[in-house]
Amino acid sequence: MHIQAEGTAIKPVRLFRINTGSCNGCDVELAVTSAVTEFDVEQLNCRYTESAHEADIVLVTGPLTVRAREEVLRLYAETPREKVTVAVGVCPVSGGVFRGSYAVDGPLERYLPVDVNIPGCPPRPQALLAGIREALEIRHARHEGGEPKRAPGDRKQSDTDNFPARGRLSFDAGACVDCRMCRHVCAAGAIRFEEGENGVRLTLWHNSCVFCGLCSYYCPTGALSVTGDWRLDHPAAHTFRQVERGEVPYAPCAGCGEPIIPAAPQLLHDAFRRPNPDIERLKSLCPACRQQMSIGVPRR
Amino acid sequence: MSDCIKLTNDDPGKNPLSLRERVAAGRVRALPRSEELVTADALTPALSRGERVPEGEVRDGILTGFITKVAAAMTCAAGEETVIEWRRDRKGVLTGWCWLPCGESLLPAARAVAELKGRLAMVTAYLPERGKEKGEREIAYHFDLDGATLTLTVILPLQWARVPSLTPIFRNCDWQERELMELYDVQVVGHPDPRRLFLDHSLPHAPFERLVPYSTFTNAATGKALWDKVLAGEREDA
Amino acid sequence: MTTKIIELGPHQLALEEPMYFRVQLDGDRVADLDVLPGQVHRGMEHLVMRRNFYQNITLLERLCSLCSNSHPSTFCAAVEEVAGIAIPERAEYLRAVADEIKRIASHLFCCAVQANVIGETALFRRVMEVREIMQRAKEAIYGNRMDLAANVIGGVRYDLSAEGAAFLARQMEAMKQPLDELYLQYGNNPALLVRMAGVGVLPREAALEYAVVGPVARGCGIDYDVRKKSPYCAYDRLEFEVAVQEAGDVRARNLVRLAEARQSVSLIEQCLKGLPRGPVCADTLPEIPAGEAIAKSEAPRGELMYYLRTDGSDMPVRLKWRVPSYMNWDALKVMLKGEPVANIPLIVNSIDPCIACTDR
Repeated sequence: MHIQAEGTAIKPVRLFRINTGSCNGCDVELAVTSAVTEFDVEQLNCRYTESAHEADIVLVTGPLTVRAREEVLRLYAETPREKVTVAVGVCPVSGGVFRGSYAVDGPLERYLPVDVNIPGCPPRPQALLAGIREALEIRHARHEGGEPKRAPGDRKQSDTDNFPARGRLSFDAGACVDCRMCRHVCAAGAIRFEEGENGVRLTLWHNSCVFCGLCSYYCPTGALSVTGDWRLDHPAAHTFRQVERGEVPYAPCAGCGEPIIPAAPQLLHDAFRRPNPDIERLKSLCPACRQQMSIGVPRR
Repeated sequence: MSDCIKLTNDDPGKNPLSLRERVAAGRVRALPRSEELVTADALTPALSRGERVPEGEVRDGILTGFITKVAAAMTCAAGEETVIEWRRDRKGVLTGWCWLPCGESLLPAARAVAELKGRLAMVTAYLPERGKEKGEREIAYHFDLDGATLTLTVILPLQWARVPSLTPIFRNCDWQERELMELYDVQVVGHPDPRRLFLDHSLPHAPFERLVPYSTFTNAATGKALWDKVLAGEREDA
Repeated sequence: MTTKIIELGPHQLALEEPMYFRVQLDGDRVADLDVLPGQVHRGMEHLVMRRNFYQNITLLERLCSLCSNSHPSTFCAAVEEVAGIAIPERAEYLRAVADEIKRIASHLFCCAVQANVIGETALFRRVMEVREIMQRAKEAIYGNRMDLAANVIGGVRYDLSAEGAAFLARQMEAMKQPLDELYLQYGNNPALLVRMAGVGVLPREAALEYAVVGPVARGCGIDYDVRKKSPYCAYDRLEFEVAVQEAGDVRARNLVRLAEARQSVSLIEQCLKGLPRGPVCADTLPEIPAGEAIAKSEAPRGELMYYLRTDGSDMPVRLKWRVPSYMNWDALKVMLKGEPVANIPLIVNSIDPCIACTDR
């Protein structure tokens, strides 16, 4: 009787957590997925376990500190071979704001293979559930012998939301004036500028971004903005393709022909409220020609 | 005894540059603009309208007495060259900044703070650039005096710096000093339990002595390696 | 009596974060304790010296998610003091709002975890559901359930519209009855009394000697709250009583927290009512001259202190901070002495220990 009953019941999938030195944000939100009905992992037929041996899915948080490494690797070694490993938050993937510290030894990938990333800082419980669902798909596909099919860049539709969560950053190259304030204020080193032949390229890596929105706050022209898109979970194979980018093209200076980044209309509106044609002309001039036009100093 | 309540000794001492001169020369710090400087001779600590007086000993009426009492205790304990300055912020919160003439005066000064019912709040070691050029470093001991903060700063040599342990006086100094010892090249003499606290055994001693620690090479490489992959992915897509 | 030493880790201690204890037992009772921190040491005080003031706002918010707002707001206060910036009055109120919202959520999390530790699963879930009201409010107003991103140098970077303020006021209304009910439960429910009353006692004299802070100190009859002793933000214009309990046990600490959470509701309501008009930030890109300053605040776990030293560049020469949890670990030796092993997880959680904060 007893054996029969066990055979017919659906065995829950066991989730096991490893904290590698996190700020506890992801961990507290994971606790929510075991305590709050709306976000309970039981809706995915999952259950948390305290035993590494039982782990079907391993959820890893934190940037992997030097001090925690030994214990993390010991626990991981105890987990079964066929588990699926999920990096929760951006810390395990890139170190997030902690990258570059003497006490941090990540990325996690250096020591163990990761299957799914759930970007966020911390990810909201809805995003955690989405990521766990993705891990379940991988688990299922592996049992069938294969990997789940999903085209790279297939952006899942966000669920209807009551609140706009701080999600993925979006870049409007047309409004960028190449002042690079965004990079200056970014604690996580998530923004890069590359000077190319035809223009300046901004790349923002969502697996490094901590979604604080400070870049957008200090952006003088609104070229960077925070979107409500929080569905950023993806297979680890796509780790380095999770980017927002855009190129700000060079244009020849209307005075001397040097390639320059023209001032965006947003900047002129910010600076002058109602730019007149004279001011409008400034935007396509290089600094030296601008100076000449406004105060008549000869070019050096 | 009347000498004891003198805040500072204006008499140029044996030192070529007295502590007070060094403070005045801005060597020790610049005074923030936000605050009024409170001195014992010019005590007009009126609160602006609408502000409520903070609780504790920093209350208006007894402010003079409080400052005088602390100053007297510090000068008595640490010697007449002790410099003490008070600042009061917009909400009436007092911070006292006291420079001790030498490392030896730390222990008596700390005992005096304990007698004033001070509570050790924090210990900060640091290497100010200008101090480093002179071969000096500083350690600041921050105490709570019922809402007011008193900071005792000792100036130590950059090399072979030693301070007495305050743990026998303030038991909660234990971890502060263990941390100080592992992060900086400072010896805390008489600490009951000088083991490492936070640093992993595999990390080198005193990472805060170098602003660029040994592992920056590997860690900067981490950032570079990651970004190389991000940018490589872009080129593929392009 | 046999003496032995056992090592306890996060799983045995029922902690969300990694922390290890070496416990010396006399029979089945605790005789002594060695706390072994460092697992979450991320070298943050070193990192802040290599990041500029703006980057440090976000970096410090990631020190710990439970008191995440206290760090950037106290850091910004230190920078503002060095730079001589008076933040607008509206910003003072909005900073207090953010701090109090976080306090309620943090205190409830601590109380929930303790219910879970003693097997009161239904109560654990109930407290977490109540906490969800705060989590939703945070996400609606700030866009994240843990890290509010509310502070900048010179003030705050969020504002409350009339609509937003009305929404928050409704959430506060919804908190009152559950918080009152939880206070009664943690005070009088026989199942909780049996586990929490008279357990993990820290006598007042020991609390003074060990120099504990926050609800741990106030649970021992020590009337100390930075919001009163060294007022900052809008606290010099808000009415509240310092929550104090005398017993020094697990129950007393929780009653302090629940009374404070209820008081936070009132503080937020006062802020919403008295919210002055005007800008929310003084100057977006101020000059930070050379100087030094101390800033303090009452974080959910108690007194938080920042020391900032600058040299006129855009990076701190030194930024040191001492979190409240740092002061409270040692007192566990007193609280645990003579207690059975089975009580260790509860007592440890009753100081609301924050490891991310402690280790930095």
